[in-house]
Amino acid sequence: MPISDRRLQLWDLVVEQARGSPAAVGHVGAVGIAVVCVDATAVAVTLAASPREVVYTSDQVAEELEELTMTLGEGPGVDALTDGPALAADLNDTSCQLRWPMFAPAAVALGVRAVFALPLQVGGIHLGVLDLYRSEPGSLDREQFTDALLLADTACALLLDAGVGAGDGRRPEEAGLQHPEVHQATGMIVAQIGVSAAIALVRLRAYAYAHDQRLRDVAANVVARRLRFPPETRAATDPGDHHSA
Amino acid sequence: MTKVSDMAQPPLSDVFIEMADTLVDDFDVLDFLHTLTERCVELLGVTAAGLMLTDGAGNLQVVAASSERTRLLELFQLQTDEGPCVDCFRTGTAVSVDDLTTARRWPRFTTAASQAGFAAVHALPMKLRTEVIGALNLFETEPGALDQEKLRVGQALADIATVGLLQQRAIHARDVLTEQLQAALNSRVLIEQAKGLLAERLQIDVAQAFTILRSTARNHNRKLSDLAQALVDGTERVQA
Repeated sequence: MPISDRRLQLWDLVVEQARGSPAAVGHVGAVGIAVVCVDATAVAVTLAASPREVVYTSDQVAEELEELTMTLGEGPGVDALTDGPALAADLNDTSCQLRWPMFAPAAVALGVRAVFALPLQVGGIHLGVLDLYRSEPGSLDREQFTDALLLADTACALLLDAGVGAGDGRRPEEAGLQHPEVHQATGMIVAQIGVSAAIALVRLRAYAYAHDQRLRDVAANVVARRLRFPPETRAATDPGDHHSA
Repeated sequence: MTKVSDMAQPPLSDVFIEMADTLVDDFDVLDFLHTLTERCVELLGVTAAGLMLTDGAGNLQVVAASSERTRLLELFQLQTDEGPCVDCFRTGTAVSVDDLTTARRWPRFTTAASQAGFAAVHALPMKLRTEVIGALNLFETEPGALDQEKLRVGQALADIATVGLLQQRAIHARDVLTEQLQAALNSRVLIEQAKGLLAERLQIDVAQAFTILRSTARNHNRKLSDLAQALVDGTERVQA
């Protein structure tokens, strides 16, 4: 199946999970259990105020593991915040025990043998992590890993678009879009209005959404210097107000 | 930076020593791959070279190219759907198109490549044992085959790129490979963000921004991705 079709299918599952309320990262976590064939999931986000805030846990086990990660300050969920995916197919393996000397045995004691931590990130923007926990050891197969990546991207998009057209059911655009202009434009907006890269991307996406344009087209206009943030028609002294632009 | 055309072709042994030296050090994988594509151009006498990697979901994405010209990057990226790189990736064998004007297999790709001024294209697989993780793509402005010796050197360079991706950690596990590929792809996005930031701050184009980013990293002995992250985080600035 083409990847874009699978993305749509997974989005439908997330919407279904939300049962009429606006789709949020927790719903993505819940969908993860069924499609990636794991037993528990959790989503933690990084906020300016705290390096790790757990916003969703599927059950008691996930909650305990998140707490463990937080207390020990190590584990796949910590590595994935900055280093990319951390895939631990068997926490009893020497490689895992060496990599996470405190977390690995403690997690096994809680009945978890495999952890797959996927970063919620877009280049240099680190938004959080999606943790998948399973009591049985073993790697994810290709389909499961693909689904996990797609869900992580969906979670990123939901975090970036929170507050933008929330609840109107529109599927958010991919966060990790393969068009370099989107990421170049993000960097340009950082320089234009002096905000963090995360906020720059939020505004770029909000602009595309509000103008009903494709993200890549808006980005291409920014890179070609046909569009500035805030647009020249807006007061340049009011950089804080851009969601309405 | 010195232009490729100004330089004599470096001896093969020098290039392999340079690569080996990098690999034993703590190095930046994207900078390494970028250098590798530049050496491909010099050693093989091709016009442009690019590396495409799988994203784990079976798609190919550009991670490094001998030139950051937007049109060239687009040409590589076009091969997400069709083109010699995709075929090479799927079959795990080299694909050579000695004359693009007679190639019928990838209409969208061949049209775009011809419009960009290219006449021949070659793709060499990046393989780790049975797994194909990407492809090295070579472009030529003149039609013609790459001779056997150059194909061998090209394949050796593709193999070095594969080894470089696996960096410090044990390479037996597929999971480790997956982690490294994902990290490399995300670094590429980070580099794009830093390019945009520098381009805007210095009022230059994004390709020039890449050159400055890279030379600054080199001059200060920094990893390219560390510098890019510091720029994106706003903890550091770069002067023109």
